[in-house]
Amino acid sequence: MIELLLLIPLVTTFLLYPMRHKRAVEAISVLASLITFAATIYLAYQVYYHGTIDEGLLYMDALSTYILFLIALVGLVANLYSVSYIGLELKDGTIGKSKLRNFHLFFHLFIFTMILVGVSDNLGIIWIAIEGTTLASAYLVGFYDRDTSVEAAWKYLIICSVGITLALLGTVLLYASSVNILGGASDALSWSTLMDPTVLANLDVGLLRIAFILVLIGYGTKVGLAPMHTWLPDAHSQAPTPVSALLSAVLLNCAMYGILRFHLIISGSAIGPEFSSNLLLLFGLLSLATAAAFIVLSKDYKRMLAYSSIEHMGIIAVGFGVGAPLAIMGALFHMLNHALTKTLLFFGAGNILQRYKTREITEVRGLVSAMPATAILVIGGALAIVGCPPFATFISEIMILAGTIMEGDLLVAALYLGLLAVVFAALLYQVGRMVFGDAPDMEQGEISKWRPVLMVPLLAAIGILGLWMPNVLETALEQMTSLFMGGMT
Amino acid sequence: MNLIDGLAATFLLIAILAVASGRVLSLVRLYSLHSIVLGITAAAVAALTNAGHIYIVAALTIALKGALIPWGLRYVIEKIGVHREVEPLVPLPVSLLICGVLTALSFYIVQPIVTGHDILETITKNSLPMSLAVIFIGFFMMIARKKAITQIIGLLIMENGLFMAAYAVAYGMPLIVELGVFFDILMAAIILGLLAFRINRTFDTVDTTILRRLHD
Repeated sequence: MIELLLLIPLVTTFLLYPMRHKRAVEAISVLASLITFAATIYLAYQVYYHGTIDEGLLYMDALSTYILFLIALVGLVANLYSVSYIGLELKDGTIGKSKLRNFHLFFHLFIFTMILVGVSDNLGIIWIAIEGTTLASAYLVGFYDRDTSVEAAWKYLIICSVGITLALLGTVLLYASSVNILGGASDALSWSTLMDPTVLANLDVGLLRIAFILVLIGYGTKVGLAPMHTWLPDAHSQAPTPVSALLSAVLLNCAMYGILRFHLIISGSAIGPEFSSNLLLLFGLLSLATAAAFIVLSKDYKRMLAYSSIEHMGIIAVGFGVGAPLAIMGALFHMLNHALTKTLLFFGAGNILQRYKTREITEVRGLVSAMPATAILVIGGALAIVGCPPFATFISEIMILAGTIMEGDLLVAALYLGLLAVVFAALLYQVGRMVFGDAPDMEQGEISKWRPVLMVPLLAAIGILGLWMPNVLETALEQMTSLFMGGMT
Repeated sequence: MNLIDGLAATFLLIAILAVASGRVLSLVRLYSLHSIVLGITAAAVAALTNAGHIYIVAALTIALKGALIPWGLRYVIEKIGVHREVEPLVPLPVSLLICGVLTALSFYIVQPIVTGHDILETITKNSLPMSLAVIFIGFFMMIARKKAITQIIGLLIMENGLFMAAYAVAYGMPLIVELGVFFDILMAAIILGLLAFRINRTFDTVDTTILRRLHD
């Protein structure tokens, strides 16, 4: 069954290749996203009720199912949005027909590589898949024929490839650390073999430490942890907006998933959880600080959203770094909340970009009168992203804070709270500048009435999750948290 | 055992020569040679440890990295009409000096693991500091050279060093992982080559220092 989940997006890319007709391309693309989503839900149901699925090279436990759910969900909404977004670009002549087809083709190839990250049992294959996400999305980042797009794509490829090379070295060292006990067997890199308590206890400690540092720097480049984040604002601002949403909401989580798998191995080994947690905490706080500074200074709203993603990855890293059950649960919950909110905000940014034709914050004025529906949704999204109650982001950020205080890390708690306050003020100020004032002389109104219809459920979901957590989600979060607390589920 | 050490030393030497080379085409030739030495090392490891699957990896290394990728790079260079000089940001003599420092540094970092208590029991463990040095040197080359092509070669040299490190610590990786990594490297090389074309078409140069438009 898991093979099927991998096959859907892969077959779609081949199906799309000979397509010429715009409607047919869009129909197949959306249909494929729907089937991917349905298959993910079915598998999630299986994992939820019958426990981990282990099919040799393919493996799904609660944690990977959660990541897959995010991929399929954001993939579906981003695909629906891109029908309108990329369709408009075709209509106004920014791109040609073959580019529209290529967009959907690479979109599904990108989804395929991300799903491969989620379903692989072997940490080596996870590496291959994460490098694959870079390669598949490079085309989407450099989608437009602009000089800045080429620059962003080049930087993206070079920086992420170098980073990920270090992660491969880390993976090799993990393999070497297991040779003593597993004797270089071909499944020596597989998660289910490594998590056996007797294996964990016998992994070589010296090699494992170096391995984790390399993996944290390597995959951390992809997560956008400071100071390896420099590709991220460029790529997010240059990519077509639906792709920015996908990069920000799920790609970063996929890379974080790679780090978490290593974090779990290190925590279970003789080193103990202290070492990797402290490193996660350090990089998390550094990312928070860097992002806060750049959000204050930002001039381009898509770059501002990109820095906000760095900030939220920092928050998630802090949550896992703190290590209290409540903080870990908060960090996991925050992955979902950030994905929903950031997708909503990037869709809003896409509407603004196609109406105002600029990415400069100072040139966008009077959003409320020009595009009332988008304006309201963007205000709601902005309040959610800075963690205002009653939104779910508030709950998850408070969970992390409470976990930190319970652990007695008062310095961390103070830094975390202070930096969140800076982002709160800066981001709302920037959005306020765009929303109010007099709209410039241009065409008014929404670009398409379908776009707000697509965005409302996202905002509603973040609102509802803030007030009421469904049983399914709560149990899933508890299952994952227990994985981090040392219990195998 | 001495055979492996000798090959690893040659491997390091070629990487340093690549930093010293002033011509783009000779850089490609050195990369090809570098990969062939890596392939021979893999074959030697296979022979010494009786691990049959490593022969496949050795053959693939020589075919892909020793022949196919260099051929592709030469094609890109001729198509674009890249100037012959590498245009270093750091002058060549200084670069060589830095290579020396990087080599010393990697010995300093890794030697304790190699000679210390029985962490590594591979016959190839002496080549670990040298492969780490190659990774550093490849990274340095990416920073210190202007052209897109030289950055690609720097990345590829880094990856060669990584494979050597994998032989040093664990006789390489499981076959399926190794094949997947090959596929990724090949794809990365192709995509970077295509992007170099686009950079040339957009900016009429492959000098990457021109890529400074995106900033805060």
